[in-house]
Amino acid sequence: MPQRYHNPFAGVDLIAPVEQRDSYDRYCQTGGRASIDQSPFPRMVDFWFAGMSLAARKQLSAVDLAKQETFKFIEGSIFDRDSWRVQAVMLVAIAVEDSVEIVAEPRRMMAIANGLAAAGVPHVVDMLRNGDQDPIWNLSESLDELLRKSAA
Amino acid sequence: MKLISAEFENFRLLRHLQLNFSTDNTKKLTVIRAENETGKTTILNGLQWALYGDDALPARGQDYRLHPIDWDVSDGNRVPISVQVEFETMALRRSPKGLIETRRQYRIIRSTYETLNGTKWERSPSTVRLFHLADTGSVPIDPPEALINEELPPELREVFFTDGDRALSFIEATVSVTTKRERVQKAIRSLLGLGVLEDAMKHVRKAASEVNKAAKGIGSDEKLTQIATKLEQLDKDAGELEDKIEDAKSQFAAFDERLADIQKKIDAALVKGDREKLKRDIEQAERQLKQIDNQRMAASKEHSDLYRSLSLSRDLLTPVLGKALGKLSDLHDQGKIPNTTIPVLEERLKGSTCFCGESLDPHDHDGQRRRTQIQSLIDGSRKADELQSIITDLYYGSRSLQPDQVADEERWLAEYTKVVERRDELEIIREGQGKKLKALEAQLDAIPDTNIQGLRETKRQYAEQRDRFNAARSRYETQLESLRKDRASLVLQRDNLLRELTKGTRILAELKVIQDVERVLQNSYDRITNEELAKVSELMNAIFLEMIGADPEQGAIIRKAEISKDFDIVVYGPNDRTLNPDRDLNGASRRALTLAFILALTKVSEVEAPNVIDTPLGMMSGYVKRSVLKTAIRESSQLVLFLTRSEIADCEEILDREAGRVITLTNPAHYPRMLVNDPQVKERTVLRCECNHRQECKLCQRRMDAEAEMELAS
Repeated sequence: MPQRYHNPFAGVDLIAPVEQRDSYDRYCQTGGRASIDQSPFPRMVDFWFAGMSLAARKQLSAVDLAKQETFKFIEGSIFDRDSWRVQAVMLVAIAVEDSVEIVAEPRRMMAIANGLAAAGVPHVVDMLRNGDQDPIWNLSESLDELLRKSAA
Repeated sequence: MKLISAEFENFRLLRHLQLNFSTDNTKKLTVIRAENETGKTTILNGLQWALYGDDALPARGQDYRLHPIDWDVSDGNRVPISVQVEFETMALRRSPKGLIETRRQYRIIRSTYETLNGTKWERSPSTVRLFHLADTGSVPIDPPEALINEELPPELREVFFTDGDRALSFIEATVSVTTKRERVQKAIRSLLGLGVLEDAMKHVRKAASEVNKAAKGIGSDEKLTQIATKLEQLDKDAGELEDKIEDAKSQFAAFDERLADIQKKIDAALVKGDREKLKRDIEQAERQLKQIDNQRMAASKEHSDLYRSLSLSRDLLTPVLGKALGKLSDLHDQGKIPNTTIPVLEERLKGSTCFCGESLDPHDHDGQRRRTQIQSLIDGSRKADELQSIITDLYYGSRSLQPDQVADEERWLAEYTKVVERRDELEIIREGQGKKLKALEAQLDAIPDTNIQGLRETKRQYAEQRDRFNAARSRYETQLESLRKDRASLVLQRDNLLRELTKGTRILAELKVIQDVERVLQNSYDRITNEELAKVSELMNAIFLEMIGADPEQGAIIRKAEISKDFDIVVYGPNDRTLNPDRDLNGASRRALTLAFILALTKVSEVEAPNVIDTPLGMMSGYVKRSVLKTAIRESSQLVLFLTRSEIADCEEILDREAGRVITLTNPAHYPRMLVNDPQVKERTVLRCECNHRQECKLCQRRMDAEAEMELAS
């Protein structure tokens, strides 16, 4: 199916702090990790997105990555496959900046998303570790609790 | 490379045997007609031993006797054993007159001695000699391995020398998925000659090590020296770990094969002991267990997919999105977001009906008028500024993220509940099935058959060993991974320190070049692997479908075969449903699939090499058998087939036409049960006669043939 929406993030890097590299390697199947229950995230972008979403939900402050050593794990063109991610990043940026004008600045929007992901990933790692079960179940149960609470 | 002849001396059953192969390009098939227990597998092993040495023997030659089992020690307790193979190679040389084909003939001789001492024996290391057979005489070539490795890469040994049953191991369930994958992967990588690239990468890494030593030698900075020393040690450790991983992989595969063999023996013993029902029940229970495990794997994959889902992001972001979507709604209410968007209007223009249901037929007056109006709306929208355009797209495009637009069953919690139920249900089924299998195995343990119990004990030991090597492999891989991380961090620190030093700049530049070269090599390696994989996959599919095309039973269910990116050989049925080669394919199709894989590999490698195949047509009949034979002859550059009489049946006309040479082998020990005439040979050996697939002589005439003739005559 042809892509209907333009992806403004196509040439923009998705990055994370170097000290989170181990967590990205540990909890993502990218790179041949075979055990799904131990490494629940199919790709690094999914882990990053979960971190960003959680940080936005918890209203955490975005980390200023310009001051940190980072690593790039992929480019924003990965969003071509799921165009809703493009819209989600734009909507989060609007909410954080409290202004719609930011949608014309893809690099600023991505900087916000990268900063939020860096802030949220440690919380995702906590969810993965907290519990007596394999990471996939620990995370599921934490998310179940979080979403159920807000639905109640 | 083409095989010309082979000569065996005291190689197990082959006391004195000479074979000649057809090298005629128009009749490239050689048929060796031989019944079971007539040395077919021994010939395959002997040829491989001559070319590759003890590594090519079963269990790498460990405890594998080469001398004839009934060797008479009065002839001496030191048994000379040798295999000699003559072959020719073809090379193309560029000259001002164009490409010139040159052919060279060689003789390789491998020999050894086995010293007998009562029931024990000991083998001396083998000696190998290679000679170029020139018009002026034989010229020794040293070392022989260089030429053999180039002409017949050892990793592809099983592709060139194939046992019909063993070849099934590329697809059969008797060995683990890991082993099957490794085999396919190894075969494909070897055929591409990727060894050259691997060697180049090793050289580059070595060069990096050397440059690192130079960094250590700058000496003016203590920290730099420390880091460079650590890196040196890490590189050494990494090399050792890589070797250990390779060793653990091959040991795992070896025990996996032994397990499969021992299982076959247990099955045979059960049949012999009249326990067929128990054997069938166990097989069925194991099959069901495997199916459940596949379902469990699929369910955990679904579970994992929940973490890349729209529903998770949307439900997590609900409070945030509400704020942003509210802003967009405000803009919409203020009329700053047009009600009609360009894509929606354009989409409408492609159809013949308007939103209101009226016609948009351009041939109709009103239809054309409405079209013009819509077009003017589109033009108007285009005039809106860029920001408005982005916001408009976002407003209409983000509907899937709007919480109030979502049905309950599309929410993450609902999806998660479904996954949990499925996984829980499968765990319960798995536990029940596991208990069932254990109960059946307990019945097996209770059988008072010492042979079966002995085999089962051996199986347990093999399984333990296999799992131990698997665990060791994982352990080494984890160690290597952590070592590489340490290395990356040290490299970063070293490079930063080098940057600060005047002398360091040059070293840093060298390191940068090395890293770039390594990256280029790695990318080339990955790209070639993927591209060639696709070629082998396509050709295998074409050959396979041609082979089985005439089988109405299989033709109806098999649509396609391919090699996946994970190096699994996968067969698809209607609607892209995956078929299990073990369960859904009959014996003929399974053999056809493995033959297709082997022929495709040889063809894509563009290596001119023989395919020596033992019992390729077993379990086949009718048109499929003929089709497999014809396709194999067409696709191979030199085909040597070991065929039994029943395999030859119905294919005689093809052999009349295509075979450049046919010989018959006979085992005298088959007299009087299967042979009509006494060959007058006391020792166990294999004898050859020149009878072709339609002939028989006093030596090879078999009892069933004679009885059949008598029946016909009467």
